[in-house]
Amino acid sequence: MGLLKKKLILTTQGCKKRKHPRLAILTTGLLILLSQASCKPNRISERIIVASAGKITSLDPAQANTFHTLQLISSLGDTLYKIDKNGELKPSLAKARPKISDKGLTVSIPLRENILFHDGTRFDSEAMAFSIKRFMRIGTLNYVLDGRISDIETPEPYLIRIKLTRPSSSLNGLLTSINLTPISPKAYAKHKDKFLNKTFIGTGPYQLESFKPQQQRLVPFSFYWNNSPKNSGIDFINLSNSTALFGALKSGEVDVLLSNSINEIQRKALNNMSKAGHLREGEGPAMEIGYITFRSNSPPLNRPDLRKALIHSIDRKQISKRVSYELREPLRALIPPSFKEIKNTPWPRYNPKIAKNLFLKEGYCNGKTLTIPLTFRSNVPADKLLALTWQAQVKRDLSNCLNLTLNGVESTTVYRQLGKGAFEAVILDWRGAYPDPEAYLSPLLSCKKSKGMICLEGEAAISGSFWTTSWIEKAIRQSDFLQGVNRKRKLFKIEKFAAEGAAYLPIWLVKPRAWSQLHLAKPEFDGNGHLLLQRLRHIKK
Amino acid sequence: MSRGRALIKYCLTRLALAPLMLWLIASMVFLLLRIAPGDPVDAVLGNRASEIARTALRSKLGLNEPLLNQYLKFINDLSHGDLGIALINQEPVRGIIQKALPASLELGIFALILAAIIGITIGFSGIFRGGGKVDFAGRLYGISTYALPPFWAAMLVQLIFGVILGWLPVGGRYPPSLLQPEGSGFFILDSLISRNWEALQGTLRHLLLPAITLGILLSGIFSRSLRLNLARTLEADHIEAARSRGIKETQVVLRHALPNALLPVLTIAGITIASLIGGALLIEVTFSWPGIAMRLQEAINQRDYPVVQGIVVVIAGLVVLVSVFVDIIVASIDPRIRY
Repeated sequence: MGLLKKKLILTTQGCKKRKHPRLAILTTGLLILLSQASCKPNRISERIIVASAGKITSLDPAQANTFHTLQLISSLGDTLYKIDKNGELKPSLAKARPKISDKGLTVSIPLRENILFHDGTRFDSEAMAFSIKRFMRIGTLNYVLDGRISDIETPEPYLIRIKLTRPSSSLNGLLTSINLTPISPKAYAKHKDKFLNKTFIGTGPYQLESFKPQQQRLVPFSFYWNNSPKNSGIDFINLSNSTALFGALKSGEVDVLLSNSINEIQRKALNNMSKAGHLREGEGPAMEIGYITFRSNSPPLNRPDLRKALIHSIDRKQISKRVSYELREPLRALIPPSFKEIKNTPWPRYNPKIAKNLFLKEGYCNGKTLTIPLTFRSNVPADKLLALTWQAQVKRDLSNCLNLTLNGVESTTVYRQLGKGAFEAVILDWRGAYPDPEAYLSPLLSCKKSKGMICLEGEAAISGSFWTTSWIEKAIRQSDFLQGVNRKRKLFKIEKFAAEGAAYLPIWLVKPRAWSQLHLAKPEFDGNGHLLLQRLRHIKK
Repeated sequence: MSRGRALIKYCLTRLALAPLMLWLIASMVFLLLRIAPGDPVDAVLGNRASEIARTALRSKLGLNEPLLNQYLKFINDLSHGDLGIALINQEPVRGIIQKALPASLELGIFALILAAIIGITIGFSGIFRGGGKVDFAGRLYGISTYALPPFWAAMLVQLIFGVILGWLPVGGRYPPSLLQPEGSGFFILDSLISRNWEALQGTLRHLLLPAITLGILLSGIFSRSLRLNLARTLEADHIEAARSRGIKETQVVLRHALPNALLPVLTIAGITIASLIGGALLIEVTFSWPGIAMRLQEAINQRDYPVVQGIVVVIAGLVVLVSVFVDIIVASIDPRIRY
């Protein structure tokens, strides 16, 4: 062994002086080659690459229920109506606003003519009826219709009549939902009652050229009835995590990045980069709310004053600052402010004094501490930060009255257990299926069967609060009969009533954002919070 | 019984036991998935769907059947090679695996080649300079790479080479501006067959970071085991005998010591290959690499029972095959092994 060592050492020493310069030159050469060959990716194409988190498994509008899938379908299909920037209903595939007759039980919608599907077939009332009926039959989100539609008639080639089971003013909002986008009856003939996942034949500004779960290629539809896209096509790609998405935008690999699933700290970094002029940032209407649900059907939170005390104990401004670097706006309402002409905030402000008084009134603080397990979704980073910050606030302000214990549970399990009353307090979020105040109240408050103030069956039970009153359900139903200002007043009254019930604690509002490279125009959003891919365009230098 | 016949008997016994092992694994996965909280119906419909919609979907997916019936159907289908249909998008599980497995294998093969080259080089240099700086650095390297958390190393590499230097793409398997090559699912092979050099360059650029990261992380175990075994072998009697016969030192190392020292390395390589078939989850997730591990993770999150069951069974089957294959190679190299 000693001999071998000696020999080898001598050999290596002998070679040392000759080998090292060669090695250094080789290494430097390789590094230069690597840096030159792989600096920025070669981009011959004028197509725009848009990146988003999450994989798209199905492009069927009856199956789609994730944000990024709906985002993509919104560029491939059209809706009967659209919500403009001011929140007004504007006809899109419809020719005019819906006409209501028969005591509110019939809605007639005239349709535009000379519109073609991507397969060349004509869009008409039969196609529209086919699409809505298919969604009613197999749509995964068909419960949003809540049994409102009884039948769809096609008295004329370009007129549909929707027969309702009850007058419904929220139907207008529903008709802007991309899940109800028309699809070609010819292309979907074999898929009337099953999903067609890998293709989409609609009337939208783009048509699908290829579909892979992690890459979808869109090309402008040559026979589009409205304004043509301002770009030569889109490559929509899906990466699995926030860091990969952030890095892809920063390195110039992608042109546009959507904010869903981007970590708070990276959102802030992108926001700072856009402020410094390195990127362009577009912001859509806030459609998503973050809130905490309190279980009101069992002790200790069946006592309303305890729930109110909890509501007073949270400092939303500080949470927004610490968790989201102020990118998430503090919220003291269930209905996002964009749906309100007057900025009303029915939930009370942070006030630890009032909170302490309420705890005292309920017999806590003097040597007796209330312990509440606060559940957060372990796979949602913002939830954990929110829980930790609130826990610290409570420790600072109300340590002798309240103790929050944290409990991280994976989101699928949270949703499964929520309706079973498994969580005393749980952090959740909600995004209305359509842009209407009702889409934020009914899913949290409506109740089919109740006993006193406890909801036994219905949305309030599914939401995990189990809180209801006989008035609130009646009021929600009544609001559907009303129109215009009277309807909005009614809905705001319901919201105020819910604030007094204190079963929910709104925390913040999340606005969709998108960042683009400087060679592109600023990203724009529609009224439903979807990025308008057709408006993305290169800016001439 | 001759050694060759004993080996054949051993392999056949292992292969004959494979169905039993697969049945046990499949049954365990089936049961554990049903015990786990959450439901595919929730994953498809969300928690707000009406009970009617839930019941309808449950019936459509066959989840309303008694557990025993579901189990028997699953085992019956499996015995006929039918892995079922994904609950989430109704795609055949076989197709899902066929798409995801090549991605994992491509990454695994390259990572393993890199790991072997780096590991063996470092292991050798440590032996030649035993106790010196190179040896110390090599040992430190071995321990460090073994101790490094894969996700952290991956993110660091991503940050430096993808974000700061911008040399290589941070994630994905293929340039987003190009259409993926069609064929076997092994993009390098497909690009070479179709002579699509642009696709080949794009694939290699995307492969480089995850393969190097995984390769470096795996190389530590190779370097450590080679160094240890080579040092031990070089002290053996037959090596001293070879030296005393005047055989050149290079030949002593390469011909007499290395084959013996490589045997445990080969076994480790076999185990590594087997684990890489199941994908390197953290690497795949960090680099958005659409491999089998990432697909499995997605399926678990969605509680897509058939996909999870199918992937686990296929991985288990491949692991059995690889381990039998490694056993055969080791036995054919090492005459001391008896079965």
